Amino acid sequence: MNPITAYEACPECDLLLNSVLPKIGEKAHCPRCGLRLSRPSKQSVERTFALSIAGFILFFPANLLPMVGITIMGNANTGLLFSGVVALFNDGMVVVAIVVFLASILFPLVHIVLSLLISGHLYFNRSNCYLAHWMRWMHHLDEWVMLEVYMLSIIVACVKLMSLAQLKFGWGLYAFIALIIITTLLTSGLDNELFWQRIEQLRNRNNNAS
Amino acid sequence: MQAKGNALKQGFIRCHDCGYLVKTVSQLSSCPRCDSHLHARHPHSLQRTTALLLSSFLLYIPANIFPIMIVNQFGAGEPNTIAGGIVELIDSGMIPIGLLVLVASILVPSSKLIGISLLLLCAHFRWQVNARRWTRMYRVIAFVGRWSMLDIFMISILVDLVNFSGIQIIAGPAATAFAAVVILTMFAAENFDPRLLWDNQQNL
Repeated sequence: MNPITAYEACPECDLLLNSVLPKIGEKAHCPRCGLRLSRPSKQSVERTFALSIAGFILFFPANLLPMVGITIMGNANTGLLFSGVVALFNDGMVVVAIVVFLASILFPLVHIVLSLLISGHLYFNRSNCYLAHWMRWMHHLDEWVMLEVYMLSIIVACVKLMSLAQLKFGWGLYAFIALIIITTLLTSGLDNELFWQRIEQLRNRNNNAS
Repeated sequence: MQAKGNALKQGFIRCHDCGYLVKTVSQLSSCPRCDSHLHARHPHSLQRTTALLLSSFLLYIPANIFPIMIVNQFGAGEPNTIAGGIVELIDSGMIPIGLLVLVASILVPSSKLIGISLLLLCAHFRWQVNARRWTRMYRVIAFVGRWSMLDIFMISILVDLVNFSGIQIIAGPAATAFAAVVILTMFAAENFDPRLLWDNQQNL
């Protein structure tokens, strides 16, 4: 073991620690500030790969099929993720429209594509000079994927509309719920330290070969 | 697991992106594992956080004064502020949902603004505090921030769905201000470095 990897530091209080990899299913916490440092999960690469494929497939029905339909006094209307963005844009709320588009459509898609690319490369033991960049982007995007917040706002909006309209839920909504479950499993099952170690191994192997 | 004190004092810098430890004496400017720039602490953490926080304080005023959405019913427009929408929900008997919106769009943003201000004051004036408790406060602030987007997403859904000749919902000027507050405070929390709280504690 490299002498430097024998230690690790807590990201939030900078406490220097002896590296310990907890067993599968156990967690390591920082003894000084209580931050959860790592929680290795079983077959992290394989699971991430499988979940990203499923998420990528589900992304399309979740975006293309109508989510909620309403009827007021005989007039009917249905809503998609994207039609909300367009409606805001037409109202002149350009900034808000862009924010909603990024947080509910573009960032979730990019996040899933990146995790698909990274876990695919690790799964098939292929090296790629962009792996480290992808991994860093994915890490930065994490916080800006707001699907579960969107879900909550669908619920609140439906409750608000319940008294004045008839509501109907479409297949898009069910696909969207499945997509949320998958992205949640994806972020919680991804073992950062393991992924970085594998990326480094692949790069070293590649450098030795050439 | 054995604790060995502050990593920077022992001559180690932790890569912010991948967690790799680099010796300070190596004088590397980028991480050997992931190639991102190495910084012992977030660069200009306090200045950046202060700037972002002041902007969000200013935008928080229009976000609460102006209507966030306007319900046009048969030609008569009824403007709704953030607080007005919550009162309406609670009045019509939807108490749990009303409380949820109250938490997400009033309690979370305001306590976030106050919380980040306190963290900044604590780091700047080197208050001797229970750093574990303050770090936990930071963690809660960083976690709950995104949930304030609830109101913004809800407007995008309502504006889209309720668009008929008789009744229409349109977004109001407060929507932009409120979205900006949420995003700027998220950036502020991201730029604040909780390790500064620990650096200032003398009795560790």
